[in-house]
Amino acid sequence: MDFIPHDEDTIKEMLETIGVNSLEELFNDIPKDLMVEKLNLPEGLSEPDLQKYIEKLARKNKVYSYSFLGAGCYYHYIPSLVDFVASRSEFYTSYTPYQAEISQGFLQAMFEYQSIISRLTGMDVANASMYDGSTALAEASTMAALITRKKKILILEGVHPEYIEVVKTYCWAQKISIKIVKEEELLNNLDDSVAAVLIQSPNFFGEIEDLESISRDIKNKAPNCLIIHSMTDPTCLGITNPPGSYDVDIFVAEGQSFGNPPSFGGPGLGIFTVKEKFMRKIPGRLVGQTKEINGDKVGYILTLQAREQHIRREKASSNICTNQALCALMALTYLVSLGETGLREVAIQNFQKADYTKKKLAELPGYKILNKKPTYNEFLLECPNLDTFIEECKKFNLLPPLKISKYYPNLPNVALVCVTELNSRDSIELLIKAAKNANKLETGEKK
Amino acid sequence: MEYEIPEDLKYTETHEWIKIDGDVGTIGITDYAQHQLGDIVFVEFPDIGVVFEKGSNVCEIESVKAVGDLILPLSGEIIEINERLEESPGLINSSPYNEGWIIKIKINHQNEIKTLLTSEQYKNILERESN
Amino acid sequence: MKFCEVPLIFEKKVEKQQKNFVPKLDIDVIKIEEIIPQKFIRKEIPIPDIPEVEVVRHFIQLSQMNFGVDNGFYPLGSCTMKYNPKINEKLARLPGFTNIHPLQDENLGCLELMANLIKYLKEITGMNAFTLQPAAGAHGELTGLLIMRKYFETQNLDKNKIIVPDSAHGTNPASARMAGFSTIELQSDENGEVPLDQLEFAMEEGDVAGIMLTNPNTLGLFERKVKEITKIVHENGGLCYYDGANLNPTLGICKPKDMGFDIVHLNLHKTFSTPHGGGGPGAGPIGVSENLAEYLPVPRIMTLNDEIKIITKGDNSIGRIKAFWGNFGVLIRAYAYILALGGEGLKKVAQISVLNANYLRTQLKNLFYLPYDRICKHEFVLSDKNLPNDVNTEDVAKRILDFGCHAPTIYFPLIVSGALMIEPTETESKEKLDNFIEILRKIKEEAENSPEILKTAPHNTPIGRLDAVLAARKPILKK
Repeated sequence: MDFIPHDEDTIKEMLETIGVNSLEELFNDIPKDLMVEKLNLPEGLSEPDLQKYIEKLARKNKVYSYSFLGAGCYYHYIPSLVDFVASRSEFYTSYTPYQAEISQGFLQAMFEYQSIISRLTGMDVANASMYDGSTALAEASTMAALITRKKKILILEGVHPEYIEVVKTYCWAQKISIKIVKEEELLNNLDDSVAAVLIQSPNFFGEIEDLESISRDIKNKAPNCLIIHSMTDPTCLGITNPPGSYDVDIFVAEGQSFGNPPSFGGPGLGIFTVKEKFMRKIPGRLVGQTKEINGDKVGYILTLQAREQHIRREKASSNICTNQALCALMALTYLVSLGETGLREVAIQNFQKADYTKKKLAELPGYKILNKKPTYNEFLLECPNLDTFIEECKKFNLLPPLKISKYYPNLPNVALVCVTELNSRDSIELLIKAAKNANKLETGEKK
Repeated sequence: MEYEIPEDLKYTETHEWIKIDGDVGTIGITDYAQHQLGDIVFVEFPDIGVVFEKGSNVCEIESVKAVGDLILPLSGEIIEINERLEESPGLINSSPYNEGWIIKIKINHQNEIKTLLTSEQYKNILERESN
Repeated sequence: MKFCEVPLIFEKKVEKQQKNFVPKLDIDVIKIEEIIPQKFIRKEIPIPDIPEVEVVRHFIQLSQMNFGVDNGFYPLGSCTMKYNPKINEKLARLPGFTNIHPLQDENLGCLELMANLIKYLKEITGMNAFTLQPAAGAHGELTGLLIMRKYFETQNLDKNKIIVPDSAHGTNPASARMAGFSTIELQSDENGEVPLDQLEFAMEEGDVAGIMLTNPNTLGLFERKVKEITKIVHENGGLCYYDGANLNPTLGICKPKDMGFDIVHLNLHKTFSTPHGGGGPGAGPIGVSENLAEYLPVPRIMTLNDEIKIITKGDNSIGRIKAFWGNFGVLIRAYAYILALGGEGLKKVAQISVLNANYLRTQLKNLFYLPYDRICKHEFVLSDKNLPNDVNTEDVAKRILDFGCHAPTIYFPLIVSGALMIEPTETESKEKLDNFIEILRKIKEEAENSPEILKTAPHNTPIGRLDAVLAARKPILKK
């Protein structure tokens, strides 16, 4: 395909105006021994040929009818409105709104996004997005180390294993040490050298932590230690208490569940919120409300830019520039489309469907629910023949639950099952059937 | 461009001024510095009671488009910060040598005073920089 | 663009509760209080219920007060605001991609797409191994610098400094700091290029891990001595990092590998036409030379004998830099772009981007001060020096908005006072370029005869100049 608007005559005319004889002459400042003849790439395709080729590639992936897989990426219903808004090219072909006067649309939308995230989470300040939940957690950790001037982070077991790895990478570079602790070890490990404690709730195993008592215990023992709360599926906030009600200093989340499709894990949406007192230390872009200099219209503008890399350069605490703005716009559209009523209903249904599935599975001989605490839309299932169970799921066109041994090799028979509002009763029945079949096949009973 | 440079103050090459009264030094940034930074929006103060060496970055001064460091002209202990700047950081722009003072220190080493610049010497530096 | 008063979505007066977007519950109802303890349950969410038609109108009205590449000329230097092909939007939305879970087994289509994209990026840049994980250019910079850190760590060498020219993007020194390095800044010489003597001097200390360079640099000029630069750094035990923000004019012309770079990041949302999305998402893949491949983050996709292999652990890998695989939705669009253009098409992109930039440069240098007057690459930098009546760069930029164009990048790079960085890209017609020249001619006239119009610009935009000082002194970040 060719997107260049000039024809040969126009090019000639322009070369003349410049005062050179050929396009090649415009590259005379490049040393000759660096010049390449051409790129060894296939010939360009027309749009129909491109479409055919890419569709063929897409068909090599399997699209399941229903999913029981979560583990950091979730299937929720996305209203048609969301893509409709994100497809307005005035939005998606624009750049970061540095020229506020012609970017009021996106700026106001980001102000609304910051506001709605603040309302949903109960936190004071939300930024206009980070890359995803994992990097948001990593940047929260390094931010905490910077603010407290301490070099140690405690991670409560239950944070997503991939998130822990990302936090480790970011902290290694700045010589911040990491320790993963079990709940009963937390207070013993807490002292004045700890910058922050990282807690995921609902955690990787689906469990909802008692943040009220954990945060109270932490602040009692180490009042200067920061509490960083993270979440991989924030749809639960439709019914569960917001982090802001628990004395959490920094709350981060993966916002993909808000109107962004799974899309093989990206682009995601890093939600990043802090208490008021950390407002001038938060990374990322912030949109503020202001007025015209010579008028009385209310408008929106990028503000507190002195925190960011383009001004602070080597003194900046974060290098983030490009963020996930369009994904934040999709999240905003999702949240206002559903409204309080819809959000509440989604959260409740996730609880109900998961609870229903848990109970049905627990009835089956050989299967056991391992969670001791209340869970949201994910739970741990001990299976008699996990591999067979997974194969049986696939036969029913169900995306099987996660084999948790991917991250915890010492748990070969445990699955992490995810059930959302999109799992119909029929699909759950098929899951039960698959589970029954897996047991029967191994024990040799007739189906 | 004519910048105000009061004669009764001492200066640094990094555009701070200091008024010395016995062993108390009142410190701020010069008219030139406030002009370079533009409208000041926020000052991040050091903690009171902390002792710093001459040459330390003790304070960050943020404007809309830049960040400046306040570099301590003399070693000393921070004894007071200008709390009015929390509500009105623009005082640094409108009155850099009076109401826009930033911190006060208890001077630890009187012999460091001779390393400071006079208003004449500072004026020369500004003239050199503009050329 | 007209002003339309759009109240904040929370201020809409009409409310209607609905459950339009939730399936009907098909199992027996069980109360939430029976599933979780009462103390976990929130009483309310301060988010309104708004009828769909009002939500739609809200966003349509907002979109009409926003300017994108699809609205008009967008010569934002350093950002490469080229046309975003619509076919890419269609392909990225195929259910065969959007519905795929990153942890599912049957993902061959995704893996193949990424493996092929890596193959093409290797050919374009000359680098030997790639990761597609980084979510943005700055994320790529951090990844590349972490690779440097690990490389020296495994050799027990203490190298804690990074060299950047004073024309570097702000992300460069910021990334260096995040990776645990401090920076040494080199003063560009009278030609706007890196001075070899300063470089040699800085490298002599022996504690420099490497240099970060953009080429062409942020003045739009090709660093003619780039091979000498990378040679000096290598001879003194350092590594060379290429900031690929300005890759556009090099496609099919020259390769970072040949220039001597060890680590390269690309901005897919710049060079490879993926939309800027109002600030993101983007993607910043990293390419490295063979000897650094073992340090790449995991998981790593490799093709060996036509087979795709995933490496999940590496003794010398820097570890993971992001969950899952990367911004896959962005990768699809970049891949489709490369397939659509082919090798010849990419070379044409480079040639015409440089043609367009020089066409503007040669005509605008008579109107505005051009500090570096030589053939530029894809962008060039003007200055407000010598503008009459105290008119400055900001005034000029704001007045450009009145004529239906986006302004160029302003006040960057820092080494040009009152910088105005113009990058037209290859997808602009001669007509559009002539129109822009006319606009600047008018503005120059206004600077001479009626500067007040410039100082109070913009006048024809939905809103006038906004009070940035108020916004920073008394921040209102939500309602």
